[in-house]
Amino acid sequence: MRSKMKYFLTVAMIFVTLSTGCGRTKESNSVKVDVPTKPFGSTIVYDPAKEINDGKKITIELWEWGSDETFQKLIDGYTSIHPNVTIKLVSNPWDDYWTKLPLALQDKNGPVIFNIHNSYHENIINYCAPYEISVEDLEKDFNDIKPHVKDGKVYYIDFGIMTGSVYYNKAMWKAAGLADNDIPKTWDEFRNVAKKLTIKDGKHIVQAGINFNTEFYQTYLLGLNYQLGQNLFSENGKTATINTPAMKKVMNMLLDIYNVDGSGSKDFGTSGSESFGQGQSAMTLMWGHYKETLQNDYPDIDYGVFEIPSFDEKPYAYNRYNGESTFGINKNSSKEAQAVAQDVIKYFLANDEILKEFNLARCTFPTKKSLTDDSDILAHPAMSVLAEHIDRYIWPGPMPAVVEESLKIAGQDIMYNGSDIETALQKAENSINEELKSSDFTAVENLYKYAKQKK
Amino acid sequence: MRKKVNSFLLRIILLILGLIVVYPFIWMLSSSFKNNSEINALKQTLLPKVFTLNNYLNMNEHFDFVRFFINSILVAVTVTIIVAYTSTICGYVLCKYKFKGRKLLFGFILATMMIPWCVIIIPKYSMMKVFGWMDSYKAIIIPAMFSGFGIFMMKQNSENIPDEIIEAAKIDGANALQIFHRIIFPMSRNGIASISIFQFLWTWDDFLWPYLVIQSKDKQLLSVGLRMFNGQYATDYGALFAATAISIIPVLVIYMIFQKQFIAGIAASAVKG
Repeated sequence: MRSKMKYFLTVAMIFVTLSTGCGRTKESNSVKVDVPTKPFGSTIVYDPAKEINDGKKITIELWEWGSDETFQKLIDGYTSIHPNVTIKLVSNPWDDYWTKLPLALQDKNGPVIFNIHNSYHENIINYCAPYEISVEDLEKDFNDIKPHVKDGKVYYIDFGIMTGSVYYNKAMWKAAGLADNDIPKTWDEFRNVAKKLTIKDGKHIVQAGINFNTEFYQTYLLGLNYQLGQNLFSENGKTATINTPAMKKVMNMLLDIYNVDGSGSKDFGTSGSESFGQGQSAMTLMWGHYKETLQNDYPDIDYGVFEIPSFDEKPYAYNRYNGESTFGINKNSSKEAQAVAQDVIKYFLANDEILKEFNLARCTFPTKKSLTDDSDILAHPAMSVLAEHIDRYIWPGPMPAVVEESLKIAGQDIMYNGSDIETALQKAENSINEELKSSDFTAVENLYKYAKQKK
Repeated sequence: MRKKVNSFLLRIILLILGLIVVYPFIWMLSSSFKNNSEINALKQTLLPKVFTLNNYLNMNEHFDFVRFFINSILVAVTVTIIVAYTSTICGYVLCKYKFKGRKLLFGFILATMMIPWCVIIIPKYSMMKVFGWMDSYKAIIIPAMFSGFGIFMMKQNSENIPDEIIEAAKIDGANALQIFHRIIFPMSRNGIASISIFQFLWTWDDFLWPYLVIQSKDKQLLSVGLRMFNGQYATDYGALFAATAISIIPVLVIYMIFQKQFIAGIAASAVKG
């Protein structure tokens, strides 16, 4: 018994020392903010002088995942204008948020404001109250509003968009004798650069020029089709068009990069993102969030970013994008709480500084027109490369997960299981269309700014 | 001689199997002293190349670790004590008292173990809302007060207690509660130790239910806090490993204290029926 007590005491002491003695608690995120006194904004204008909830005290909850500090800044800014409002920030783990949120939104006790991701659109949209800001006003201040309009109303919009760009290792680039003016614009140029960046020891690859293992379906198969003027969905937006000449051309190019050029291999590096971070591969095509991964997991990699190459100089669209959404308002919460939420949304959408903070934190390119040439945004490596052709990216809509899953299986069947391209793509198309029969999803590719230019 | 060789071989096999089981834990513990780039590096080493305590020092940046830890201890200990008591008393009654519908009742209790948690979670959630127990430990503790597995285990355990002892106590004038508290409960300590370890572990590890019913940051449990390390696009593995390493300490302590009774209790519950 005495020895057990020793165990217990030793362990307890280690815990106490580690977690209380050495550990430091994060200090309060609240910071002193400048309280605006004059109205601000472009078309959507926020007037700080306007009283909210008749000046009476009110407490609401805001649920989000991930970016506590940015949300806290939003809350601090808003409550400094309206000290009668208390906004409780509830942080959630990303995956499980989507289990808890729909349950909590079923009555007035759920969160009044909640963060949205459009991949969960169908689960959430029925709990959302429409914004009280008119579509016309939103369109004057923001790009890409049309795809979010439902029966003349908007329930959330994108504050920023994310898409794929090529990340390259600067040291490897230099060692291969490449300079800044070698940044490729077309896929042919890209393949030549990838060959130069590849190092082999006999037949074995030591350093891959490009690596698209694992992520190929997200960054290539679901996006490069647009460069060839091919949408992912039919005109009515209800059926997938996967087994197309464009998709076959993309898949053939991927196979040629590995099998003909030898600039990489399906067996070299588990995934493009990991392999690049581990210094095995010189280039990888990743979405904006990859900056966060590099910063967190591979801080020693010195990298640069360039825009995705295209098949010709003027593609129909460079790639697809996905948006980071603004917040939803719980339609089941009390009228007073909803009024505060509407006011918070207006404050957020009128406030360029806070929108910039959100975009920088999420590595997304702002949809607010007044921020597209902001110097801080353009100083960000993943955003600056998008600036020139930002209107040439297309959003297919909140696609169900089956689209990505089916393309992933198709690519794996082709690369690893020896399936022919035609059969694998047809199989993917069939499974997506089968699933879409029971889905409310309608693609919004026809709302793309240059939709009429489709070949 | 042959027996000795067999015994030696058996020990070697068990040692290898033990190492296989323990290795991920050792790797996690060792990695909690590495930085993230080393954890994600292509060439992995068991011991850190660069030893760092930063993961432990920065743990609290994701959530208030100590508060969550204390909350978890409070809830797990409360649930464990209650379940140990209710399981023992119910197991004893079902084993030693003869009454109409006893087998049916026991069958019903066993049936509760067969229902997948995902089937009952929504109605249970709705009930908590109706009762007004959301964001309160009542929502975690009260539904967990009776355990089908615990009752089953303690019923089996009660089979070890001779009826003669109960009869003798009755003759000496002890009433039903006195018999239970003074004779049955102390004699069931092995079974109680087993069910306590199981229940503590389950409550300690339970994530989804506490996450669904607790809203306030200051009431949240450690299992939920550990999930906070998983971001949408990236995971802070170093801090996650550090927090996990500390979070398993109470489970180890409980097991170390009760391990003999645990093994005896499991064996006793398994052979009687």
